[in-house]
Amino acid sequence: MLKIENLKVSYGSISALRGISIDVAAGEIVAVIGPNGAGKSTLLLTIAGVVKAAGGEIVFDGHRVHGQAPEKLVARRMALVPEGRHIFGSLTVAENLALGATTRNDRAGIAADTERVLAMFPVLRDRYRGKAGKLSGGEQQMLAIGRALMSRPKLLLLDEPSLGLAPLVVRQVYEAIFELKQQGLTVLIVEQSVNRALAAADRTYVLNSGLIAMSGRSVDLHGTAEFDAAYFGMART
Amino acid sequence: MIALQNAIDAISLGAVYALAALGIGLIFSIMRLINFAHGELIMLGGFTLYALAGQPYLVMGLAAIIVVAIAALGMERVAFRPLRRANPATLLIASFAVSYLVQHIVLLVFGSRPMGVDFLAQLGQSIEFGGLRVPGLQLAAIIITLVLLTALALFFRHAPTGVQMRAAAEDFTMARLVGVRANRVIAAAFAISGVLASFVSLFLVAQTGSVSYKMGISMVLIAFVASVIGGMGSLIGAALGGFLVGLVSVSLQAYLPVDLRPYRDAFVFLAFIAFLLWRPQGIMFRRADRERV
Repeated sequence: MLKIENLKVSYGSISALRGISIDVAAGEIVAVIGPNGAGKSTLLLTIAGVVKAAGGEIVFDGHRVHGQAPEKLVARRMALVPEGRHIFGSLTVAENLALGATTRNDRAGIAADTERVLAMFPVLRDRYRGKAGKLSGGEQQMLAIGRALMSRPKLLLLDEPSLGLAPLVVRQVYEAIFELKQQGLTVLIVEQSVNRALAAADRTYVLNSGLIAMSGRSVDLHGTAEFDAAYFGMART
Repeated sequence: MIALQNAIDAISLGAVYALAALGIGLIFSIMRLINFAHGELIMLGGFTLYALAGQPYLVMGLAAIIVVAIAALGMERVAFRPLRRANPATLLIASFAVSYLVQHIVLLVFGSRPMGVDFLAQLGQSIEFGGLRVPGLQLAAIIITLVLLTALALFFRHAPTGVQMRAAAEDFTMARLVGVRANRVIAAAFAISGVLASFVSLFLVAQTGSVSYKMGISMVLIAFVASVIGGMGSLIGAALGGFLVGLVSVSLQAYLPVDLRPYRDAFVFLAFIAFLLWRPQGIMFRRADRERV
């Protein structure tokens, strides 16, 4: 589904990603974890076309896509839920969801998907005509995920879905992610919350200082000394 | 009765200012560009009327609307699209460059003297309402502005492109991340801004009966002030700001001592400096310094 090879990104003279390779197979949940500043958000923004890569290759669904505009990648059925959610606060919940379907024009399908999202996150139905800016943090996260689903993505990119949310809400969000996986969606999650990520993902990559320090099946990584070393940056010494 | 007469003057002047301010505010809200070349769009509308003088008024008017909308699209394509990722200061300077370029091309072709144009001159005649004399043009300005504002409000609320433009104005990068085509919404914003500018040209030419290469300058300045007063980035604010500037101008014209009336504009701007010292964010506050990618 997604194949990233030797991806390099720099902001001015600072390199954020120094040549990383990641594979995500169809139907998989893959997590990228790492400490603050490891380059996790940069990775997702680069895949989604917001940040330009300095080198390397991104292949999505059989197409080389690096350098393509974000709106084009949405049309190719890739959706990003960015860090901080970025819902359109001055617009209603309904308008936010409708915007998620910008690239589609199958009215019946859009109506069905709206219904699906509202069934998944019933709280959005209660607030459907209200301003999205009035939602709580957890509700905004659900709206951001719902909005992304409205484009009927093949690949969902999630940036820190648990950030700043109460544990109960985090559980709800991850239950939704599992449900989506059951329906065949491919998900790439970036997380700082290690336990959440390892519990949710089939495979996990550890990103540190712009490099992949370790990768493998989540069950194999959990609690090993090598994993701790990779995560906390001792692997380089 | 005089107060009512003044109120009608204020609303009709404010209506035209509101249209001009909306044209500037719309582009700013989406692109963080303060487009000083908006005045030249107004001027090009005037010269379209001049070029087609003698044709039926409807033909002149429609041609002006179309020409200005196309000119606005052209400006975006040639000058502003290549600079989209530049910082707002660069965009501002570019808009000055476009403004001077267009002014001087028109100066080269048509010369510097104002030229008379007959466009809806009979609208200058007043209509009597029980002792109240309302020039037809003022009435037309008020009605047409209300129609345009209503149409615009409906467009932003219900049309998919309108909703996309509101989303883009709030968070441009995120709008692209849900699939909003950047080029398309920005072009749409420029086209609408051009249509608004063309109506300002129609009012100006109908009122003054003349065109000159400098006719857009004072209008764009007032429109800019109005959109700042309203709160940069807020469209409702821009419209309110326009009406407010109209109200203050007409009030000062009516109630300043006669000796001071020639300096009315100085007092207008003084009033708005005071206003901004009191409320620097404008009437409708909206965070306008967000990152734009």
